[in-house]
Amino acid sequence: MRNYNKKILVVGFLITSVLMACKKDFPVDEDGLLVTTRAECYVSNFELLGADFVTVRTKAATIDTTAQTVKVEVQFGTDLKNLYPQFTLVTDAKLDPKIIGKVDFSDLANPKTYTVVSGNRQVKKPYQVLITVQPR
Amino acid sequence: MQSRSIYFNYSVLLLATLILIAGCKKEDYKLPTAKDELQNDAIKRSLGPNIVGQNIEFVYAMALPPGRGKLISAEVEASIAGAPATFLQNNSFNTNSSGVDIGVPIGQPSVNKGAITTVTFNKDTSAAALRYFYSVPEDARGQKLSFTFRAQSSNGETVTYKLGPYNVSKMDMVQNLTVSDSTGMMYVSISDMAVYNATTAATKADKIDLVFLYRTFTSAFNHALVSPAADPQYLPGITLPAGVNKSTKLRKTFNLQDQQLARLQFGIFIDDLDFQELNLSDAPNFAINLKAEAGTWVETADGKYRAYIYINSVVNRTTNKSAVISIKRYAL
Repeated sequence: MRNYNKKILVVGFLITSVLMACKKDFPVDEDGLLVTTRAECYVSNFELLGADFVTVRTKAATIDTTAQTVKVEVQFGTDLKNLYPQFTLVTDAKLDPKIIGKVDFSDLANPKTYTVVSGNRQVKKPYQVLITVQPR
Repeated sequence: MQSRSIYFNYSVLLLATLILIAGCKKEDYKLPTAKDELQNDAIKRSLGPNIVGQNIEFVYAMALPPGRGKLISAEVEASIAGAPATFLQNNSFNTNSSGVDIGVPIGQPSVNKGAITTVTFNKDTSAAALRYFYSVPEDARGQKLSFTFRAQSSNGETVTYKLGPYNVSKMDMVQNLTVSDSTGMMYVSISDMAVYNATTAATKADKIDLVFLYRTFTSAFNHALVSPAADPQYLPGITLPAGVNKSTKLRKTFNLQDQQLARLQFGIFIDDLDFQELNLSDAPNFAINLKAEAGTWVETADGKYRAYIYINSVVNRTTNKSAVISIKRYAL
């Protein structure tokens, strides 16, 4: 009788181990973000905040997903050295380099480039941020 | 054997029921009995950094049973003697049904002798709550303050209550300076914490840190604080007085309505630490399109002062282009 119980225990343990080993693994990238099947790769919205965290745009940014540019006009007198860009991306995509604080956009001749990486991490599209300053 | 077990079970059940009943017994409320002695208590009423020239407000309450005598004096001793404006109110307050504080005089106005402020009672009073306003003197800047409150009754009893220590800020503060592009009062001095017109500014050229102006263009220029040394495109139509040429760093800020500057409902206080940690190394030397309830962090060209200029209100009429500003300043 005791022997029989032992056998049940061992079999139960084995079945559980097999079930756990069959659990599907979700892949994550180096940032710990889920890698999905989505291949879409674009910027859907762009915002630019000043040092006071108030928008400096004069109108909505123009995003050209074919030319891969974000054109934005900022108010006269904007402090271009201390700006906080905000990108809205398609589902599951991520941005490279990451925005971790204020960004210096003062070198208008050499626009900054941000790369959008798709959800499956296979498609990469660089977007240029082209800033113009509103005339007085 | 079985009957013994049943007997035991019944006993346990009975005991449990008794405990339950005893546990549920309602305790009658008893009126607390007052201590038969002179007692006191004190609280600090004012919030935020303690700034030189401003008041720190306390309330000191004292009471004894009427049968034991009456109050004869109340006094406060500060660790550093307050400015002459320091006083202990000679009114005890109660709040009426409309929420208004009604003052009842209980003695002569307070007398300051060194660091001690005293009120001598001349009414038969057995309980009073007096307000104490300590005007922070220049000597206390950057120091720690503590206070000892004392009350004495007619039967010779005395009680004391200690509060503190409280830090006194190194900051200076000035409220409600009017800057106007219409009257020419547009030259702001951080070192003097004052506003001058062009004639006076010419005589104090080394002390002028900012120029206030209001312009309407197609862009949002509006109210602006600009360094005299800024790009001339930010000073349209301005002819600076001779020698006014400082480059002051500025950073626009929004939603920072310091309670002491704005005196609004916001519980935000700018303290010494904010100025110590402020980094304006890459800030521009102009701030345009400033709105009411906005502000700017400032660092003077000589690196001697950091400040926060808060815009209390603005007027945009063509005949009156002005703003009211309040300043907190920290000497580095």
